[in-house]
Amino acid sequence: MRTLLDDFSKNRVLWITLGILGALLLLATQSMQLDDWLLTVLRGVAMGAVIFLAAAGLSLIFGLMDVLNLAHGTLFMIGAYVGWSAYVRPDTIVDLTTPVLLLTAGFLALPGLQALIDHWTLPPAVARVWPWIAAGAALALAAGVLPQYPISIWNAGVYEQSPVVWGLALEQGTLVPPEPATFGGLHPIAAVTALLAVGGLGALAIAGWRTQPSGARAPLSAWALAGSVALVGIGLLVVNDALTAWLFGLDTTWRFGFAIVVAVVVGMALGGLMESTLIRSTYSRPIYQLMLTLGLGVIGMQAVIAIWGRPQISMVKPTLFNGTGDGCPARSLGDWLANQCATIILFDARVRVYNELFIIAIGLIVLVAISLVLGRSRLGMIIRAGVQDRAMVEALGINVQRVFTLVFAVGTGLAALGGVLSGPSTGLTEGMGESLLLLALIALAIGGLTSFPGAAAGAVLVGLLQQFMVKYGQIGIPLPFIEEPFKPTPPLVPASTVLLMVVILLVLPQGLFGRKE
Amino acid sequence: MSAPDIHLALEDVQTFIGQYQILSGVSVSAPRCSITALLGRNGAGKTTTLKTIMGLTPPRRGSVRLDGQDLHGRRSYEIAALGIGFVPDYRGIFRDLTVAENLQIAERRQGDFKRKSELVFDLFPDLRRLIGLRGQQLSGGQQQMLAIARALVPDNKLLLIDEPSEGLAPVIIEHLIVAIRALARETTVVLVEQNFVVARQLAERYVIIESGRSVQAGAMSDLATDRNAVQRYLGAA
Repeated sequence: MRTLLDDFSKNRVLWITLGILGALLLLATQSMQLDDWLLTVLRGVAMGAVIFLAAAGLSLIFGLMDVLNLAHGTLFMIGAYVGWSAYVRPDTIVDLTTPVLLLTAGFLALPGLQALIDHWTLPPAVARVWPWIAAGAALALAAGVLPQYPISIWNAGVYEQSPVVWGLALEQGTLVPPEPATFGGLHPIAAVTALLAVGGLGALAIAGWRTQPSGARAPLSAWALAGSVALVGIGLLVVNDALTAWLFGLDTTWRFGFAIVVAVVVGMALGGLMESTLIRSTYSRPIYQLMLTLGLGVIGMQAVIAIWGRPQISMVKPTLFNGTGDGCPARSLGDWLANQCATIILFDARVRVYNELFIIAIGLIVLVAISLVLGRSRLGMIIRAGVQDRAMVEALGINVQRVFTLVFAVGTGLAALGGVLSGPSTGLTEGMGESLLLLALIALAIGGLTSFPGAAAGAVLVGLLQQFMVKYGQIGIPLPFIEEPFKPTPPLVPASTVLLMVVILLVLPQGLFGRKE
Repeated sequence: MSAPDIHLALEDVQTFIGQYQILSGVSVSAPRCSITALLGRNGAGKTTTLKTIMGLTPPRRGSVRLDGQDLHGRRSYEIAALGIGFVPDYRGIFRDLTVAENLQIAERRQGDFKRKSELVFDLFPDLRRLIGLRGQQLSGGQQQMLAIARALVPDNKLLLIDEPSEGLAPVIIEHLIVAIRALARETTVVLVEQNFVVARQLAERYVIIESGRSVQAGAMSDLATDRNAVQRYLGAA
């Protein structure tokens, strides 16, 4: 009891704010039917869950590295589009994996190559020129081989082969797996060797550009890692057609699982790559960093539009969440599992299982998982310490750089997870990344920028407010002294979240869970 | 007497922070298992010297050698992993971590904390009852003890302690002096100390740093009688 009172007096403003919000929510039950209210709350929390997946990464990255990653929205979008591809066209993903792994293998061998180069004694002129020659050779080889490498893919420029049509085909159950692409004039062994050489030459060039000898350690493990990645790539090439056929034969529920895994892996890989190659060099220059992440975001978005096209593409819900037949809408969770209904009746409200329940469940799982990692593991301890004082963590003998890359990758992976999850519920549009980034940033500001629980609370608040504004746009808010109920127009929906942020920051300049500097 | 076994040697170290040259020639040699005090006025470069050793502000010229091994080009965490414990002047306690976590985070091998807990709690018995508190709930003296205790969790052979006595009550300072002297039986200690009275009780050797240069070094017992140097460089009697 004592501690409760203490807690209250310390966080008075926070509790009062939350109290007012609770009262408003309660008040809302008076002006609408209970089922409408429940539905709006669930929609709001579900939207909050998606925003949270992006905001969680943003807040971890900002807290630990002081990087405001403005490319986060684009990674959300990439997650959605890559997830869509794995869901609708798994053959493309399988086809792409082999060349990507082969190229990666070359770069993974970098420490090994570096150690090799340290032993070279070349005339300075040669030493300065050869890396450029190697890089040029890598590019030329890549330009020669890649266009001929068989990758079966959609074509955004031709309507019949565009993602729109592929998405519709899966939705209507008329999707016919496309013919696997074949090596035409190119012998597979030649293609594999060439791709390995491209990666190797590229890595060699990078090693050559480094001016200082690295004193690289453990080149043996680097070779082993590169070799095993290359072997996995070649192995996938061998089983390519069988794997593709198997994926196309899978039930969409399982394929959605596959899509989630692919999206998260791609999101993490892109984030890790971004941090370790570009952002790392801008840690002490925040303005450059903002411009860099903003620019990367725009480039990524345009790349997505170039590959998948502008029109909205659809992603049908997995069968587990799409049933409408006998016994639907479900009356209980057991009912839903038995009949795989799209909707379930909760307190007289027809709730969509995927949109409103599944997304919230995933959001909760991520929230609990990250809280556990932050609170219980050594990594979490290092992150919490690093948020406050990076230099001290490093002075204790901990490689903070590696933790940075990992946290960045996890953060972008979560954004990609949010993207692929929102695909079946809202569809994929060219503006999805931008609008989500804005909401996530607002959620972050409300929650207090670096606070992880703050990101969750801010995201749910933003989601709730948006959905209630949408709902009131339909039914109107009965106001005293005005005859007509007030109906918020659609532009007021996004404006309301900004307004919420302004009000909260005026009352609590540090945000709900922020710490005074 | 044979040549002393030098654990840490700085030779003509020059360090820049941004465009400002902070150190313009610092040489220090610390024999193994001794206590060396860096003395000098505020802003003379004592703290920067410690940070330079840790690689937090890497030297532009000169060399830092640990057991004869040049630390040039190594990152901070690699230097620390060679067996150096660092206690910064602001203590560097993580305020969101509990006392136990503040100690555990310093582990370099799993179980370090468990193995060292007896040593840590013998030196600083107070920490035992504070173990569940968060860093931000500790007083200045408690934070200082925790900071030194944290440097003892891994097997460190060299401790760099910045301003151990600053802002502490005399009783606690006395306790710290006893603790640090006990440590120096097995560990080399290099510390920065503003309080000459404390430094005189603690250290066996001294280096005076003035305007980014080391100007005088020797045995502490000699300095105590050298009123001239004390007046000139430390402004204290």
